[in-house]
Amino acid sequence: MTEAINQDHAILEVKEWKEALPGQSADEVVIALSPAFGTQLTKSIIDIDLGTILKELCAGIEEEGMKPRFIKVFNSTDLAIIASQGSRLSGSGICVGMQSRGTTVIHQRDLVPLDNLELFPQAPLYDEKIYRKIGRNAAKYAKGENPEPVEILNDYMVPSKYLIKSTLMHFKEGEMMDKSKKAMDMKVEF
Amino acid sequence: MKRSKRFEKLEQMPINKDGFAYEWEEVGLVCMESPFDPTPSLKIENGIIVEMDGKERKDFDSLDKFIADYGIDVSYAEEAMAIDSLEIARMLVDIHVPREKIVKICCASSPAKVTEIMNHLNVVEMMMAQMKMRARKRPANQAHATNLDDNPVLLCADAAEEATRGFAELETTCALARYAPLNAIALMLGAQTGRAGTLNQCSMEEATELELGMRGFTSYAETLSVYGTETVLIDGGDTAYSKAFLASAYASRGIKIRFTSGTGSEVLMGSAEGRSMLYLEVRCLFLTKACGVQGIQNGSINAIPLVAALPNGFRAMAAECLIASMLNIEVASGNDTAFTHSDFRRGSKLMMQFMPGTDFVTSGYGGIPNFDNVFAGSNEDCDDYDDYYTLQRDMKVDGGIVPVKEEDALAARNKAAKIIQCVFAELGLPEITDEEVEAATYAYSYKDMPPRNKAEDMKAATAMMDKGTNGFDIVRILYENGFEDVAHRLMEMLKQRVIGDYLHTSAIFDEEFRVISAVNDRNDYMGPGTGYRLSDERWARLKEKYSALKPQDI
Repeated sequence: MTEAINQDHAILEVKEWKEALPGQSADEVVIALSPAFGTQLTKSIIDIDLGTILKELCAGIEEEGMKPRFIKVFNSTDLAIIASQGSRLSGSGICVGMQSRGTTVIHQRDLVPLDNLELFPQAPLYDEKIYRKIGRNAAKYAKGENPEPVEILNDYMVPSKYLIKSTLMHFKEGEMMDKSKKAMDMKVEF
Repeated sequence: MKRSKRFEKLEQMPINKDGFAYEWEEVGLVCMESPFDPTPSLKIENGIIVEMDGKERKDFDSLDKFIADYGIDVSYAEEAMAIDSLEIARMLVDIHVPREKIVKICCASSPAKVTEIMNHLNVVEMMMAQMKMRARKRPANQAHATNLDDNPVLLCADAAEEATRGFAELETTCALARYAPLNAIALMLGAQTGRAGTLNQCSMEEATELELGMRGFTSYAETLSVYGTETVLIDGGDTAYSKAFLASAYASRGIKIRFTSGTGSEVLMGSAEGRSMLYLEVRCLFLTKACGVQGIQNGSINAIPLVAALPNGFRAMAAECLIASMLNIEVASGNDTAFTHSDFRRGSKLMMQFMPGTDFVTSGYGGIPNFDNVFAGSNEDCDDYDDYYTLQRDMKVDGGIVPVKEEDALAARNKAAKIIQCVFAELGLPEITDEEVEAATYAYSYKDMPPRNKAEDMKAATAMMDKGTNGFDIVRILYENGFEDVAHRLMEMLKQRVIGDYLHTSAIFDEEFRVISAVNDRNDYMGPGTGYRLSDERWARLKEKYSALKPQDI
């Protein structure tokens, strides 16, 4: 399945490539995407192009000398499950999990799904810069370093403004969920 | 159109920054009274439920089956289901019908039946019924203590202040998961420094949370989430059996638990099976019952901005807390999540549980500024204390906490900060300086604290867990370093697990470690002159207003 979405500034193309197998390369950081990411949904909850977000994440990872690898998870819409699966496929054991709305987590192979290294639950607060920092820290964990965590942002009025939109976006993720489909390696262009 | 200046002003009011939505019944975006909710039914053959709410046993999913087999008293079900829902609704507000009779009926009814009873009640009737149906006679309250930096010194001082204010339970969590052991210890030390017998929990991923309890760093757990549809339960990696098993793991170690649910969570997770939020929540409550768990945290919790965006939101939340009480389950009744920009609206929401009283009026009053609340903000925070106290004073209502003098709060904070300084030193954790102790004593928020090296703290936390450090190690450290009083309290909390009395429904401790529960403090409300009434001593504490004018001042 291929869908290219033309936008004013960015062209994001998220294409299925092949079934994802455990990575052998210790310098890869997996970016695990939710079912509707980049196909049905192309903008985050605050309308940042998802291509821009991926570009920043990759830049952060590459700045630390590591390589991003994209996979997509189809059998769950739950970020913990998505990221946990990604970490088990990651050569370094580190994965950045992302939902289309922008909610992000850094996961590690030996952790149970609901545990994590760093969690970024309030998507409406994150700009491009934060995603670059997330990429950088993920790469540092992959190198076995113990980095200072990315700063925690918190705005307790975020849910009252965004929870309805977030629910409707989650419905879209749910529509693309396929319980029997295995995680796929993805070709991503942005 | 030429604009009205009044309408323009109204548009700018805080309430209009909130999100609102119309109902969408087909996907379950409806609080209660959905045309797609099932019609109540129970058919029993040879002591087994063969039909529930219009579904035959062969069509049961795993959740239906678990509820039907373990959650409903079949011995009385036929009689209970034969009583008209309207009649049961009337019993709820009839002071001549005892609580026990209604509990017996509801425990033998189907989920759709209990949902239908609620459709007959308005909110004042629900509040009246809540007062009567609450399991424990005496209401209580719970607080959140967290900070954005996971600063353990500040957390410990905050917990001590909250315990001094009389919260029966304290809850923390982490901004960074790897801080969990340090946060749990900080909260425990602060809780016992502030008031003997204050229960403490650290809300984390389930395996971590259980381990913290088994180590003796927490004395109860609450974040065992259940959902009302099989899809969502399984999507979260669970089954009814795995939840029941987890509950048993806690019980086997003598640790109090309650489950967590709440209207709106299923639709938020994208799978409501076209049912109303309240009906799905009732299924969670029956599941809780079926797992043998004594209590629930509900009242929507995380989904409240969604529930409150729809018509009947507050009413559905009042209903779900009430139903927990009708099933004889302890209820920690929400009011713990920020959902509105309007102070008028959040105060009104609180009143629906505050006035009748519940086992825990809030399942997390933020005893810290809301921006420091890692649970994404509560409905009340530390800036609201005087409003809360004044409302208790205005209405002669016990909302579970008492006013404290500034010097008493500071003393508790300072002592707690010194205690955690000592414990960190003895456990070989990164140093807590005198400067940090001083800052935590007087702090408003994390912004007032000298920054710590988080990477080092987290590394040390992991090493401490690997070494096998437990609650007894901390008792010994306190005892050997001049904090005998708090050492005794921690030791007593550990001993209580062996005694196990605080596993009874709605249990809390008084300052002498006596259990107050639905067993020995049974709610016997039967109208005026019965049930919970403020003693003169308690009222004297609640009506204290230090700034108020006294006759002798003139």
